[in-house]
Amino acid sequence: MTTQEHDALLLDDALIGLNELAGNCNVTHEWIIEHVRAGVLLDAADPDPSRWSFTSRDLLRARYLCTIERRFDANPELAGLVADLVEELERLRVRLRREGLELD
Amino acid sequence: MEFKDYYQTLGVAREATAEEIKKAFRKLARKYHPDVSKEANAEARMKDVNEAYAVLSDPEKRAAYDQLGRGRHAGEEFRPPPDWDAGFEFSGPGGFGGEGADFSDFFAELFGRQAGRGARFRARGEDHHAKILLDLEDAYRGGSRVVTLRVPRVDDEGRLTVTEHSLDVRIPKGVHEGQVIRLARQGSPGAGGGEPGDLYLEVHFNPHARYRVEGRDVYATLRVAPWEAALGATVRAALPDGEVDVRVPEGSQTGRKLRLKGRGIPAGQPGDLYLVLEVVLPPARTPKARELYQAMARELAFDPRHVPGAST
Repeated sequence: MTTQEHDALLLDDALIGLNELAGNCNVTHEWIIEHVRAGVLLDAADPDPSRWSFTSRDLLRARYLCTIERRFDANPELAGLVADLVEELERLRVRLRREGLELD
Repeated sequence: MEFKDYYQTLGVAREATAEEIKKAFRKLARKYHPDVSKEANAEARMKDVNEAYAVLSDPEKRAAYDQLGRGRHAGEEFRPPPDWDAGFEFSGPGGFGGEGADFSDFFAELFGRQAGRGARFRARGEDHHAKILLDLEDAYRGGSRVVTLRVPRVDDEGRLTVTEHSLDVRIPKGVHEGQVIRLARQGSPGAGGGEPGDLYLEVHFNPHARYRVEGRDVYATLRVAPWEAALGATVRAALPDGEVDVRVPEGSQTGRKLRLKGRGIPAGQPGDLYLVLEVVLPPARTPKARELYQAMARELAFDPRHVPGAST
């Protein structure tokens, strides 16, 4: 076992582009473009994909969409709906914790 | 190493059709989906289910696994015989992409050999993903955490093995829940001299006894005496980055939020810190305390069920 010290870079300070996102999610560029154009990824997109930049949230969402589509053969819209619901669930969980409450 | 019965994991017969395997997988994927599952160890069960499906949904891997597993039972001690996979050609991915990095040693032992085959072209290594649990104080001050990861590596004989690799990660100040931090070149090694991939860590916070976090904003309860709330007072409050004197406005009630601008998680746009007031009554245990409460009851003519502007 080895231990080395490494600086971690906050992703939102160094946004990633189409190439990196596609490589990271193990999908093609076309997959990313299809999902952005379907409105399930990246809120406000420039018409030119080479100018897109993705945040932490986009990265996690893209990976989540991939998982749902692969596991359930879902189409982008259905996977997008599941991702929306899970994000809403998480938002409500955070709100409950803020009020000192927890879901059972 | 223990033998894994992938059929048992998915709850299907050895003769199950591809369609039956897919159905069983989807049913379990829904049952153990970590975001919503109420099952114990849902995340670990989901990894087992994914691994079983990765093998049984791939005709080549399934055929090889069936040949090897004939007469074996889950949990029994197991070593694959040398060249057990002779005659099989696994054309699919090695199984370490996407969710595959979480697969077991058993899986790596069986299906790892292909990694070295045909890797004569130059290719960048895969990026890896993991979650990291931090304390809120790390977000305020930065900090370091040792992260231990299971990393697939190709040995000199071209065989894929899974090793544990520890990294001491310096956490940048200002991270918050759900953000991702990246460690360059700490993913899988590249093939044919290609660049290694990166490691992405998804940030989550350990629950804190005093603070609740929402994005960059931080919430804490500030307990005040009835006279501090009623008359106003300056009280000392502990924050994650030190103590501060806070002015409690006159006429405050339980639930009132006092905002300390920019004292949440520090960042380019720092969050705010909210102190939520909780008025705590002194106990009426002594004659003097009882006398004071009785005097208030007598002289204030206060009915908490009929306060102007209150909903109940």
